[in-house]
Amino acid sequence: MTQTLTRTLPCLMGSAAILAASFAAPAQAAWTGGDDQPTSPLACDASTVAPDAGSYNGGTVTGAQPSDTLRVVDVPKLVGIGYFNATSAGVAEAAAELDGVEATTDGPAQANIDDQITLIDNYITSGVGGILYAANDPVAIAPVLRKALEAGIHVVGYDSDAEPDARQWFVNPAQFNGVAKTLMDELAQQIGADGSFAIVTSTFTTPNQARWIAEMDAYQAKCYPEMEWLETVEAQEDNILSFNQAMTLINKYGEDMDGLVGMTSVATPAAAEAVTQADLCGEVSVMGLATPNAIRPYIKSGCMEDAVLWNPVDMGYAALHVLKAAVDGTLEPGAAEVEAGRLGTLQIINGSEVLLGAPTVFNAENVDDFDF
Amino acid sequence: MTDLSQDAAAPRTGPIRRILRDYGHELLVVAAIIALLVVVGAINPRFVSARNMTSVFSGNAYIAVAAIGMTMIIVTRNIDLSVGALIGVLATVSGTLAVSGAPIWVAWVAPILCGALINAVTGLLVAYAGIPSIVVTLGMMAILQGGLISVTGGAWISDLPPEFLLAKMKVMGLPMPLVWAVALTVLAAAWMRLTPYGRSLYLIGGNAEAARAVGIPVRRRIVEVFMIHGAFAGLATLLFATQLQVIQSTTPPNLELLIITAAVIGGVSILGGTGTVIGASLAAVLFAAIGSALIFVNVSAYWLRAFIGVLILVTVLFDVMRRRRETRQKGH
Repeated sequence: MTQTLTRTLPCLMGSAAILAASFAAPAQAAWTGGDDQPTSPLACDASTVAPDAGSYNGGTVTGAQPSDTLRVVDVPKLVGIGYFNATSAGVAEAAAELDGVEATTDGPAQANIDDQITLIDNYITSGVGGILYAANDPVAIAPVLRKALEAGIHVVGYDSDAEPDARQWFVNPAQFNGVAKTLMDELAQQIGADGSFAIVTSTFTTPNQARWIAEMDAYQAKCYPEMEWLETVEAQEDNILSFNQAMTLINKYGEDMDGLVGMTSVATPAAAEAVTQADLCGEVSVMGLATPNAIRPYIKSGCMEDAVLWNPVDMGYAALHVLKAAVDGTLEPGAAEVEAGRLGTLQIINGSEVLLGAPTVFNAENVDDFDF
Repeated sequence: MTDLSQDAAAPRTGPIRRILRDYGHELLVVAAIIALLVVVGAINPRFVSARNMTSVFSGNAYIAVAAIGMTMIIVTRNIDLSVGALIGVLATVSGTLAVSGAPIWVAWVAPILCGALINAVTGLLVAYAGIPSIVVTLGMMAILQGGLISVTGGAWISDLPPEFLLAKMKVMGLPMPLVWAVALTVLAAAWMRLTPYGRSLYLIGGNAEAARAVGIPVRRRIVEVFMIHGAFAGLATLLFATQLQVIQSTTPPNLELLIITAAVIGGVSILGGTGTVIGASLAAVLFAAIGSALIFVNVSAYWLRAFIGVLILVTVLFDVMRRRRETRQKGH
């Protein structure tokens, strides 16, 4: 008997810990998962204010050697997801257009900042002329990028930024408040200005997601004060976990939840799948950030109306154009705009960020026009 | 009353005592699950609604199925770190076949066979080249992960045919993943307890010299166990890859650790020789129940990791203490 007891004590202790937590927890208020930086919600109507370029706050490259061929390595957060496959395709498209540019994509197999730093460090040693990155962590990646700038390598970020002085320019796919506005406006249109919703995000510490959520929170307070933000849950960028988390939210809130919003290109289709399997299409609206390929079945089945994203192909394309312009000297600190091939003239905001434009809404009309 | 497979030293064991002795750990995992259901259900009755119970019991079914094979591996005193990457590769194999127009049964059988074949290589290296399994499977993990990204270029597989999506099907109103997890667990548990072959795995893990002495072909068995484990990874893949309408070319980070953890918390001794697949499957259900409960009581998902970490350490600690005491008792 004592054997049985000692073998099984751990389980008892584990469940006791959970039980203690369950009693302590209800006091804790629902956390939206936003960061605590200041927000700037846009106007509730469609009016826009021309952005201000601001003064240059990016870094400086030292000792760059001109060469006939510009070798560029593109280091996304990770490889193996549709989203970064699309940015990579955009980089390749721009490389084919531009003279004397060779670009390759090489990223970590998982969204791991340590792997990403090691990878960039290796490319600095091997001697490339330019680095494009989408950072897994804005602070942790900064030292290795500064090292690149000091080694005469041009550095441009896209999608997920580093500290501004650790790179020259950053291609901002869409302003956080712009995405937040589009998401909340589309959501309100589906669940009503007094609807309730929950969010499935990657992690509370992922910079982009935390920023969007903070802006959504601010915009909702300003423009849809009657809406109810039930909860935000984490699901990494994991298909099955996203599905399970979405299903648990559906089970937890039942009819009290009108909408589910996915903050990653993994979470949104998984949430749509959960609503489909719970037989609640039409009762619980699903929307969020997503790539067209992943949500196409749900838009076709009528379980989703639309999803929001920018065009990642355009983002990768713009990033390489910006890098080339910086190398050629056509993009200097203090500029208010930059030419980016087929995208035309892009505006510069926040000192050293290149704004890609307004977010794209994918719906039944246009979803077949995209393949990423 | 003569149970040769267990320690004959235990005197006058009645049926209830015997169940407590042989399945004490499993019963405690069940008790932990029930305690969670009762308490969280009392806080929010929707937690124990039929639909949420379906999510809890079938949400981690693929982990439970993979943990069956992992249990066999650990019982023989080996380990497999490559199973997460293997599931990723098998998912891509299966999905690629499904969208390329191959008959659906081929897309379903292929991952099971491929899993067994790939793991045959691992098993041969472990058993005949004498390389510790932790090293072989670490290498295999890197090969499979790297190879998968290189071959697929990272592209997702979408537009899967509906008839391929096994995990969405139902058997008598029950979700397929749940049915599979229960059926495979029961079959594997019976096989490991009742057949001489199954029981030999415990002997190999407990004392390989003794196993050799009684004529068990230890090396061949280890290769075979790796192959069986690979087949279970293939079965787990079928549940993993057919739940949604897309297949990612990456697997969830640390999937292999989650599978190993299910086995360890389920009472499978990391030192080999003891533990059952029932415990491992129950532990997978326990994880799902904890994950769901954390949402119902508004606790951050980070606590899930912390809880599981505590469970691992305490379980292993008690396992080590128990062995030490047993060794002392035998010594006197």
